Amino acid sequence: MNALSKTEVRAELDGKSGPQFWRSLDELADRPEFREFLEREFPAGASEWPNDQLSRRHFLGLLGATLALAGVTGCTRAPADKIVPYVKQPENVVPGQPLYYATAMPLHGRGRGILVKTEMGRPIKIEGNPAHPDSLGATDAITQAAVLSLWDPDRSLAPYLHNRISSWPAFQAELLAVLQKMDADGGASTRILAEPDLSPTLARQRQALLAKYPRLRWHEWSPAGATASAPKPDYDLGKADLIVAIGSDFLSELPGSLRYTRQFAVRRRVLNGKANPNRLYVLESTPTLTGAMADERLPAAPDRIAAVLHSLGAMTTENLNAAEKQFAEKLRADLAQFTGSKIVIVGASEPPEVQTLAATLGARFPAAPPDQLTDLARNLQSGNVKQLFILGANPVYAAPFDLKFREAVAKATFAVHLALYRDETSACCRWHLPQAHFLETWSDILASDGTPSILQPAISPLYSGRSEHELLAMMLGDFQPDGYEIVRETWRAGAPNDDFEPLWRESTHDGVVRKLSAPAAGAALVANAPTAPRLEANQTYLLFRLDPTIGDGRWSNNGWLQELPKPLTKLTWDNAALIAPAMADRLGLTNGDVVELRCNGATVEAPIWILPGQADRCVTIHLGYGRSQAGSVGNGCGFDAYQLRHSTTPWLAVGLEIKKTGRRRELATTQHHHSMEGRDIIRVASAATFRGKPNFASASLTSKASLLPETPPLGPGRYAWGMTVDLGTCTGCNACISACQAENNIPIVGKRQVLMNREMHWIRIDRYFEGSADTPRILHMPVLCMQCEKAPCEIVCPVAATVHDDEGLNAMVYNRCVGTRFCSNNCPYKVRRFNFLEYSAPAGSAFAQRQNPNVTVRRRGVMEKCTYCLQRITAARIASDLQSRAIRDGEIVTACQQACPAEAIVFGDIQDRRSRVSQRKSEPVNYSLLDELNTKPRTTYLARVTNPA
Amino acid sequence: MQGGDPPPESPQVFRPRANRFYMAFVVSIPIALLIGGFSCYEVYRSPVWTDVSMPVAQPVLFSHRHHAGELQIDCRYCHTSATTSSFAGIPPTETCITCHSQILKQSPLLKPVLVSYNTNRPIKWNRVHDLPDYVYFDHSIHVNKGVGCATCHGAVNEMPLVWKTQTLFMEWCLQCHRNPAPNLRPVAQIFAMDWKPPNDQATQGPRLARDYHLDTKHLTNCTVCHR
Repeated sequence: MNALSKTEVRAELDGKSGPQFWRSLDELADRPEFREFLEREFPAGASEWPNDQLSRRHFLGLLGATLALAGVTGCTRAPADKIVPYVKQPENVVPGQPLYYATAMPLHGRGRGILVKTEMGRPIKIEGNPAHPDSLGATDAITQAAVLSLWDPDRSLAPYLHNRISSWPAFQAELLAVLQKMDADGGASTRILAEPDLSPTLARQRQALLAKYPRLRWHEWSPAGATASAPKPDYDLGKADLIVAIGSDFLSELPGSLRYTRQFAVRRRVLNGKANPNRLYVLESTPTLTGAMADERLPAAPDRIAAVLHSLGAMTTENLNAAEKQFAEKLRADLAQFTGSKIVIVGASEPPEVQTLAATLGARFPAAPPDQLTDLARNLQSGNVKQLFILGANPVYAAPFDLKFREAVAKATFAVHLALYRDETSACCRWHLPQAHFLETWSDILASDGTPSILQPAISPLYSGRSEHELLAMMLGDFQPDGYEIVRETWRAGAPNDDFEPLWRESTHDGVVRKLSAPAAGAALVANAPTAPRLEANQTYLLFRLDPTIGDGRWSNNGWLQELPKPLTKLTWDNAALIAPAMADRLGLTNGDVVELRCNGATVEAPIWILPGQADRCVTIHLGYGRSQAGSVGNGCGFDAYQLRHSTTPWLAVGLEIKKTGRRRELATTQHHHSMEGRDIIRVASAATFRGKPNFASASLTSKASLLPETPPLGPGRYAWGMTVDLGTCTGCNACISACQAENNIPIVGKRQVLMNREMHWIRIDRYFEGSADTPRILHMPVLCMQCEKAPCEIVCPVAATVHDDEGLNAMVYNRCVGTRFCSNNCPYKVRRFNFLEYSAPAGSAFAQRQNPNVTVRRRGVMEKCTYCLQRITAARIASDLQSRAIRDGEIVTACQQACPAEAIVFGDIQDRRSRVSQRKSEPVNYSLLDELNTKPRTTYLARVTNPA
Repeated sequence: MQGGDPPPESPQVFRPRANRFYMAFVVSIPIALLIGGFSCYEVYRSPVWTDVSMPVAQPVLFSHRHHAGELQIDCRYCHTSATTSSFAGIPPTETCITCHSQILKQSPLLKPVLVSYNTNRPIKWNRVHDLPDYVYFDHSIHVNKGVGCATCHGAVNEMPLVWKTQTLFMEWCLQCHRNPAPNLRPVAQIFAMDWKPPNDQATQGPRLARDYHLDTKHLTNCTVCHR
């Protein structure tokens, strides 16, 4: 499909009234090419012969061969299988029963409590730890996908010396000589570069190391800019009636985001027919998930944000345009009204001018991230640093381009790089050492509110990886380091003599340390803060942001995260330069046009993506792409935004120049895939409308006469499974997609296949825009199998591969499916996915070890879809039947429900009037998707109630 | 035209009696298909294909007849998780050694076990009962709901090397899932090898099904075993 320019869109729109909700500018314009793209379930060529030369004779030949060979496939016998029991069976291991370990995942230097599910010793799934303040039982997409990285065969397998395979003893022999040298000069020419990490054990080791080598210097750096030592403000959003977010995506990017989302959702939920939503103002330059939840959102360039904030203080609205004036007036009134229950949050990446103005409104913000890398790079360049130990970071790829870190590292004579992958930095260092994955190590870490957790391994290191604690122990002279004892030593200090063992066991079991204490973490070194650009009118700004799925690039080689559609652009496998529709219009750019971005004296070529809701004069680029040594999955995806990132302006640069190159790059976006054709799908109303007409979502619904059989094929059974999805609290964070992928062995397909609409996610999150292209409202809607009581897919299946059970599940019997795809054609919700190719990990691969043994791995030619986590229903049924009792409400939690930080998904028995799902379904805002088709879906939606002034 | 020669006969490829070959051919095709199909069907259901009654060789000449039959060792001594997990459990080498550290230590039959124990390398047993990967069978629910070990595994106490006594076809699963009553036994008899249905099983069975709270309607849903 040809992309449309904005001018064409405007022309098309002239004199027409498009749909109220739209997914892209193309849909808003609704041209014939776009109609054709939508109406083809699979794009041109996907369902046709690849060449036109297929003659009649050739066709008959193939037909005959197919017929003759069709039966042969049944002539194979299952290969002989072996059973390999333990020699000595470990305690607690029951074959066939999962075992959970409580641990924590380090993310931006803070820990997020998790429970790791292991099957026969293999970690296969991560769930949130309900006892942990940064999880509360929920996870985000990255946490879910972390288990895939554990099994990544591209991980570093062994130590390398000058890019040649070596061994730990060889490294230790060299280290010994270096340590002697360090003893002589007190570590003067030695530096350590670590990622910010609030680990008490790391702090203890750092102190010990600095005591032993007083002249050694320890640098903390991460491209995300998070510093462990900087105190972060913490919020209780549940109490706030007014929340103002200024360039802050507090619902998805802060260490405490899962907790904030939970607190925020409590206020946004319609409960017992009542709604008392808080009010959220968002002022931002580039759309975020928080912006999508806003009641009042104003996209504005940084200088305009400053102007709006200034006008609030100055009590004037001169110099503001109409939209800004309206926003400022409403906000000023509300700030006066909700003095006692307001929270103002400003983003860490906002320029200091904006942060200072926000502070006058009551915002607290962390100190500007100290830039410790510049000092290190300078000293490396000047030859002052001979020994450099890099723990986990990847500065050669991710350092600001002006530091020339590649050349700088080469100047160190003894550079050691401990990392999970042999990446760009490893290639420049004398030694590369394999790091153990966090699921393989003993460690400890503090949560965003300071709650400590012990990290315990769920599996011994798969390869020869060591943790950073073990490497530091080697530097402290222990050449047989034991991570377990190192961490215990930290905590033993704070325990009353004999009480340590039980308290230690309790702490590791719970995943949260309550009764032990560790020495306070010492502050790391603080260097100069970055200077900020001056905010002047009519400049073009370049905004740097972490990628919403692969972060700063550390998850580049994680296929789940690469293929996860980015929440707002729905792009997969790529980053792009995001620009506003008006700006694209001015520059004559369309989606996929490759432009040259020039800023700070550097240039990068990037494809354009027009994002409604982006502020004018602002171009956003996401970090983390364009890697050369990420691994077989991440190499060559996207462009490298770090090439434009200057050490003095890490988040915001001014004076961007954009030059068209005339080339194009195809971007794989899923925003039009599986379209439901612009029907009245998503329902939203203001709190005022809701109070006047609580059933606004379902009031206008009229079901048409149906050809489908009146009664469901089976039932009623003992239970009737159903689900509700709350659009009022869903933030579109993608956690459910990632959790479903992990739970249900959903494969990834790659960029080319995504371009052909062949992505396999069982849940998709449709993102809709409403209103004008420049300042639209953004809405999210997760769509999964509706488990229709009168399912259109079932009546067209020629082999009865999709049938109902008596509890209302629309089951998929994979071994019966012959792949006609009739069901998918007949599904109005477009929630079925077909395995066009053999996408699943082959049986012998490392990834196959990760697969959930309780879910069938689908083969080529088989249709698949959501079945409400049937394996979890079955497990609960067996558990309850063994005790001859009924399944309790809440006993079955689907994977998506478990991951959801907003508790937007509720599952249960709808026959039980007291179940949570029944109560949710009895809310007035409950409605069925495409109710007029009379499919009687078991999954229903709760309409969104907003609270605009 | 010269002379009065008759016009040459049109050349006939087939003599009239060729019709008989043709008829025989036409009739024999369906017969051959029938016979072929029937033979395939029979072979598919015969022990040649299903391995029913075919003892499976094992790396250790372990005799269930001796251990479960003559020595009367309970099934659960080795298959520890049969009552609690989907998988009944194959004993670790350590379980063998609990007795055989004292008994028959020198027997050549025991050598692979001792080697396994001393080298910490597991014994790789050959699987006898192998369900397709798309079938999810759970031991615990069957064992706790009145299905005895011997109902599916046969009289293991009489097998020197274990063989299958059932085809494990889906029809075999279903005939019990449709009507479990004839196969149900009291809890106390689950692990008994010599249990025979009593004469009043026709009344005992349905009573047991009630006691076990069996939801027979649900048992025939696809989702019970396939996911």
